[in-house]
Amino acid sequence: MKIDLLTLYRRMVTVRLVENKLQECCFRGEAGDLHFSKGQEAISVGVCAALRPTDYIVTHHRTIAHEIAKGASLHSLIAEIFGKATGINKGLAGEMHINNPEIRHMFSFQLVGTCVPVAVGLAYALRYYRKTDDIVAVFFGDAATSNGQVHEALNIAKIKRVPLLLVCENNGLAGNITKEYYLPTETVAERMAAYGIKAHTLDGNDVKKVMVATQIAAGEVRESSTPYLLDMNTTRLCWHKQGQKDVRSQEELQMLAERDPLLLMERRMKLTLENKKKIWKSIEEELDVTFAKAKKDPWPKMVSVND
Amino acid sequence: MSKDVWFRNRLIRDAIYHAIYGRMKVDDSIYIMGEGSHMKVHFDAPNIEKDFPSRVITLPISEDANTNFAVGMSLAGAKPIVDVITADFLYRTMDSICNTVAKTNFVSNPKTIVIRSEFMTAGPTTGQRPESLFTHIPGLNVVVPSNPLDAHGLMDTVLKTKAATLFFEDRMIEDKTTFPEDVDTHLDVIPLSKAKIRKKGNKVTIVSYALSLRMLDILLQRENLDYELIDLRSIYPVDYDLIAESVRKTGRLLIVEPDVAYAGVGAEIASQISERCFDYLTHPVTRLGAPRTTIPSSRSLHDFMLPSEKRVLEVAKELSK
Repeated sequence: MKIDLLTLYRRMVTVRLVENKLQECCFRGEAGDLHFSKGQEAISVGVCAALRPTDYIVTHHRTIAHEIAKGASLHSLIAEIFGKATGINKGLAGEMHINNPEIRHMFSFQLVGTCVPVAVGLAYALRYYRKTDDIVAVFFGDAATSNGQVHEALNIAKIKRVPLLLVCENNGLAGNITKEYYLPTETVAERMAAYGIKAHTLDGNDVKKVMVATQIAAGEVRESSTPYLLDMNTTRLCWHKQGQKDVRSQEELQMLAERDPLLLMERRMKLTLENKKKIWKSIEEELDVTFAKAKKDPWPKMVSVND
Repeated sequence: MSKDVWFRNRLIRDAIYHAIYGRMKVDDSIYIMGEGSHMKVHFDAPNIEKDFPSRVITLPISEDANTNFAVGMSLAGAKPIVDVITADFLYRTMDSICNTVAKTNFVSNPKTIVIRSEFMTAGPTTGQRPESLFTHIPGLNVVVPSNPLDAHGLMDTVLKTKAATLFFEDRMIEDKTTFPEDVDTHLDVIPLSKAKIRKKGNKVTIVSYALSLRMLDILLQRENLDYELIDLRSIYPVDYDLIAESVRKTGRLLIVEPDVAYAGVGAEIASQISERCFDYLTHPVTRLGAPRTTIPSSRSLHDFMLPSEKRVLEVAKELSK
């Protein structure tokens, strides 16, 4: 499958703009308590571009980038975040618990670490029960590797030889806490040695590198039915939750902004300011319509109440 | 109940495996998984070991990940039966049961997931009965059969039900009144949510389940009392209609539970029946259960953990006057 750089760029911009617009909605009280991936868009977009549409993803609580990258309907996604009946899960799931089997996004999990063992079970069933050659890509942060469930799952993944691509969005943050509080090693990749799981570290802000690395890793995962980790260094440019004040210094934020995946892409594509504005405007106009529709959609009815 | 609580009752377990084997033959999506699963079927269900070896997945001692693994399998259409060694180990997988199993079934179309566990009796963390805890969590059914026939029928039912079920095996039950061949000859279809009247009567309604139910059944048969004995079979859902119907007739309710009585399912039943049958009750609802005490290891102290036959008889006699 051939994907041009412009398509990848547009997808990343879509994630950025959806989150920007949602941030405005939060400030107006129309949505609440969301978790954004600003600065990490290249990983979702690059990985999903390299997967087959029939492959599965299981993800963590910053779901907007994953959903858009895997090809969700923007209207259903935004309606879900607004809690509307027209949402992906009829407003039952919200931003952090989305399940979208139509695009093979089998749940996002708000509780850090849960996504990994669930993905291991899914990958096992796909290979040994359904007997397909589909693989599962599971997205988690570097901070999730301080959670026991992740290690239990890595252990099972290797023992059971499941076709699992481990995608670590390594942003050096656990919520708002920095690495020295939770990660005793330099990289996440080196932790894989304990399980005999192959790992590759790379720049997660370069969407093209992410895509190429995923193609190679996914090929091996599919071929040999084995777990494989991509440890992707990235930068979260926003704070943990929307609305929180970023306590990082201006210098640090400026330094991180230099690594903004959109900026890297604009440079690579030699995009003029004029063309950039044109792209952003066309996406924004489309989103204006989508947001307006989602806001007008009906609220869900309570499905069942047990005594 | 015999004093010999160490007796290992094979019959309920045989019935459970019999039902699982029967369903595995017709439903290729059923998988058994968990700690030592292949060893368990080796000893307890050689037919499963022989016929479906690839559908028995032995996982490490990592309860929390194991249950989440099962959820992942269910997302691909499999129906997992998760072996959790004993009920005490359920605390180690509370996150995956309460946060993953129950919630994924709420957000998506419900899937069949059965979590099996058994009660032991050997000390502080080897003998707890956490069954009532799970009745508090929306999205979970809790089955605690008192005899092999129910165990068979209910396992068959839950494997055909798109829902998450905690299925408990009460190893402390000594069943000398039911024989293995009954399992083959009386394949009852038992719906989830239907309690069973074990004995009809008029003076007092006695509600119980599992170990306590068996104890009552044997104990009260010897007495000349006019009581109605109801076996809950599942403690979620609870068959309130049947209990209420009985209480409207008798006007008295005694609940006997093998779990810690404090904030247990008996308290919930007492409250619901008090609300539903207030005008019919002639006596306050009475509960008897385990004290809110950590289980001591010494066998000599175990009699303090469950309501004694003497105490149960005293109360039952008083209420059936």
